[in-house]
Amino acid sequence: MSTSVFSVDGLWKVFGPKADRVPADPELAALPAADLRTRTGCTAAVRDVSFDVRKGEVFVVMGLSGSGKSTLVRCLTRLIEPTAGTIAIDGEDVRAMDKARLRELRRHRAAMVFQHFGLLPHRTVLDNVAYGLEIQGVGRAERRAKAAEVVAKVGLEGMEQRRPGQLSGGQQQRVGLARALAVDPEVLLFDEPFSALDPLIRREMQEEVVRLHREEGRTMVFITHDLSEALKLGDRIALMRDGRIVQLGTPEEIVGSPADDYVREFVRDVPREQVMTVRTAMRPASADEADSGPAVVPGATVSEAIEAVARTGGPVRVMDGSRCVGIVDHTGLLDVVAGVAAEADMAAVAAGSDAAAAGSRAAGAARVGDGGAPARARSSVGEAPRQRGGAVQPAGTNAETV
Amino acid sequence: MATITATPPRTLPGALKHPAARKLLLLALAAAILVPLANARWTSGTWPTALTIDLTQPLTNVSDWIIDNRDSHPLFLYFFGHISNAVVLSVRAVYLTLLTIGWTGVTALGALVAWRVAGVKLALGTAAAFLACGLLGMWVPTMQTLALMVVAVLASVVVGALLGLAAGLSDRMDRALRPVLDTMQVLPAFAYLLPVVLVFGIGVPAAVLATVVYAAPPMARLTALGLRGADKGVLEAVESLGATARQRLLTARVPLARKELLLGLNQTIMMALSMAVIASVIGAGGLGDRVYQALASVDVGAALAAGIPIVLLAVVLDRVTAAAGNGGTEHPRAGWPYALAAALAVAVAGRLLGRTDWPGSWTLNIAEPVNRAVDWMTAHLYSGVPVVGGTADWAGHFTTWVLDPVRDGLQWLPWWSVLLVVAALAWLIGTWRTALTAVLAMAAIGVLGVWEPALDTLSQVLAAVAVTLVLGFATGIAAARSDRFERLLRPVLDVFQTMPQFVYLIPVVALFGVGRAPAVAAAVVYALPAVVRITAQGLRQVDPAAMESARSLGATSGQQLRQVQLPLARPALLLALNQGVVLVLAVVIIGGLVGAGALGYDVVFGLAQGDLATGLVAGAAIVCLGLMLDRVTQPTGRRAKKGA
Repeated sequence: MSTSVFSVDGLWKVFGPKADRVPADPELAALPAADLRTRTGCTAAVRDVSFDVRKGEVFVVMGLSGSGKSTLVRCLTRLIEPTAGTIAIDGEDVRAMDKARLRELRRHRAAMVFQHFGLLPHRTVLDNVAYGLEIQGVGRAERRAKAAEVVAKVGLEGMEQRRPGQLSGGQQQRVGLARALAVDPEVLLFDEPFSALDPLIRREMQEEVVRLHREEGRTMVFITHDLSEALKLGDRIALMRDGRIVQLGTPEEIVGSPADDYVREFVRDVPREQVMTVRTAMRPASADEADSGPAVVPGATVSEAIEAVARTGGPVRVMDGSRCVGIVDHTGLLDVVAGVAAEADMAAVAAGSDAAAAGSRAAGAARVGDGGAPARARSSVGEAPRQRGGAVQPAGTNAETV
Repeated sequence: MATITATPPRTLPGALKHPAARKLLLLALAAAILVPLANARWTSGTWPTALTIDLTQPLTNVSDWIIDNRDSHPLFLYFFGHISNAVVLSVRAVYLTLLTIGWTGVTALGALVAWRVAGVKLALGTAAAFLACGLLGMWVPTMQTLALMVVAVLASVVVGALLGLAAGLSDRMDRALRPVLDTMQVLPAFAYLLPVVLVFGIGVPAAVLATVVYAAPPMARLTALGLRGADKGVLEAVESLGATARQRLLTARVPLARKELLLGLNQTIMMALSMAVIASVIGAGGLGDRVYQALASVDVGAALAAGIPIVLLAVVLDRVTAAAGNGGTEHPRAGWPYALAAALAVAVAGRLLGRTDWPGSWTLNIAEPVNRAVDWMTAHLYSGVPVVGGTADWAGHFTTWVLDPVRDGLQWLPWWSVLLVVAALAWLIGTWRTALTAVLAMAAIGVLGVWEPALDTLSQVLAAVAVTLVLGFATGIAAARSDRFERLLRPVLDVFQTMPQFVYLIPVVALFGVGRAPAVAAAVVYALPAVVRITAQGLRQVDPAAMESARSLGATSGQQLRQVQLPLARPALLLALNQGVVLVLAVVIIGGLVGAGALGYDVVFGLAQGDLATGLVAGAAIVCLGLMLDRVTQPTGRRAKKGA
């Protein structure tokens, strides 16, 4: 608890008349979305969600549209008032805060970056970035100096006097990011910040976030519907569906051991070798192997290990410092790529190997995550009907109802 | 029952079939029960006297009481009296200031403000307009009108912005104000004159207050619209940064609504000018008064000499304020001090040279030549021109062949059938709510005891609307189909749409003399630009994909128009009808000044004779008529569209 920035427990957000009764009544709380709607006229956007955001991590909330993730992030600073449950920031109860205290929270502790930027069109870039400081009552000269500094940090030098309308989407989002950074918040909240951007700009912005996180180590809560983005940025990922968190774990846990069929369907086309580490692929070392030969670190991805194995032609040691923790060889690596290690399902094996083979081709051209989108698109047209017709059907209908 | 069987063939064809038939059937059922009852109880010709309430006596009493107590009752002493004094003082102060600055100063100031706001071209135009006012010998009346305008516009903007702020920030206020403002928007200017005269008597305070009441609604509406229309994403972002409600309003909502606020200012100024001119009937001096006096003696030349400055003022004010709304944000503010200093220098220089009054020798008397031209026209074009006939002949024929039969027909119809037709039309176009309002409004006219003159006005409105729609749709369709035609048309429409209603009476009197036909002609000319514009816009905004698919199927351009464009532009066409009706009514009522008779004349007569009761009843009937015509032509979608 001491290291968690946000601590959310049993959070509910129900829209509709007399929303309070839904979380309070166990029978209503258990109803599926459609039944709840016909029974009460209410929609539960967030249902009984609990998680902790640890200091310094990038916590990604991922889900399809309508899964409640945007509502969830707005509940954190009460831009949307939660219906039930507790939210604590650094141990302080957010729901108990009065107006002034809540403003203080929004001004200094948590700043948000929005999907559609939310910039003020009548102000220059510099004044937009300085806006948060202006709200706090910081003097003109001081806030402009600080804003200029942040503008430079996000790579917008020379555009200080332009207006948002004169910038491209990516540049506008840099302004949005700079505005959030300028108030030096404890946590940055991102609400699908890059969904409205072109793929190339999106990748650039993702790298920008990775860089900022590396440099400053600021805690981030990141909402996205893009799995590859989640896997690329997230230290931990909470996967939401119909307002609930269906799985919460590291990217490797999500991809390596999906909690249910929905998650499995979701991560089906992820190039596994890009996400899984050699820990999953290794076997215990026999005595003679532990002492010599090429080595990789335990955090290395399977694809890096494949490269090392392919180069040497034989097994490779996994070295944690000077200690050999295991051995990876062709068999272990292929098992991971094929999904055999984690899955017994034959259909999944077939699909996994297919996807992995294609995925590694894609990975030759692009890096982690970038292959995700094209891979998914490809599978939905070609592969799915052929091999997994039976399994895909329920997932497909689920995705539509979400 | 005759009306019920008469309406279906007109309204049944088309997509309306099923719901329309059901509505008519219901209505027929109601009529079958109610009409025999009504017939048995009352007469079936004109509105039964048993159902009227004579308000003349109580209204006269009220009017007399107010006149008796105006100088003694505390309500007048401590409330209306102060308002009245404040208005008189401020108008006088502005007027004297304008005279002190002198014509050089006013012209320079106007031009420099226009330059800062809208650029060099409009600055030159502004200067030219002011000089033209002087040249026509209208400098002093122009300044009188301007002084009244300044005070009225300032008051309207303050009142309107405050109301708009309330409606923009509170949902409850919005729900309460919106229908009131919507209705005020459709009422003819004449309806506002009597109540203020009742309280303030004839004079400048009444004129200013009538102007404020007429001009404030657009400001309020647009302020509310702008505040409500602010980008939700931006407001959320502002809130996420911890802004207080005040900060949110001042740094986000108001700046985001800038465009609407300036549009509101523009509309308020235009409405104020329009009303300030009409208010000459209740004691506003200035240009309007000159036109009014000249029209009363059918002196077209003098009317034109005062009318041209009105038009110039309107065009300049409209262009400058519109330019302020369309941008100009990028202009640095640094130019303002220089501009003001320059204007001041010119004013001082003019004063030192002793040239504050417009020099008498520099005026151009256009009244004489214009009157000679009108006389020549009267002599040669009025009648007896071979083949085409003359303008007076046309007016006469229009009156005897169109206006008279329509009026007589309407007045011959049994009163309940008029109500039924109103109900049927309103229900078919709109909802049962609009139908109910329309029927109640129409019935109220009967109850007020002005059924006959109201139907007279209605006949003029119907004739004018018919002509307007035929001309307007034809021109609109042509403009939508030809880019070149639209480019030619645009500046004409722009000028015509900015002119105050009153001005339109001048040329029609010159052409057609006085009577009902000229009023109808003025109404057509006044309403035409809006109808043309809405029609053309509606046709042009038809989904290009639908047009493309029709073309790809080999539809001729006539087929495209009939089968794709017109059906898809139906909402726009209905809006054009609605606007056309509202605008036509406004001018037909004013036509009372040039011999159109009916309700407008009752108002003028009431004012002229001090018979406020007659005037007030006619004013109330105008309100009802306006309400009825608006509701009858109100498409179902209008509310929803405005709410968005």
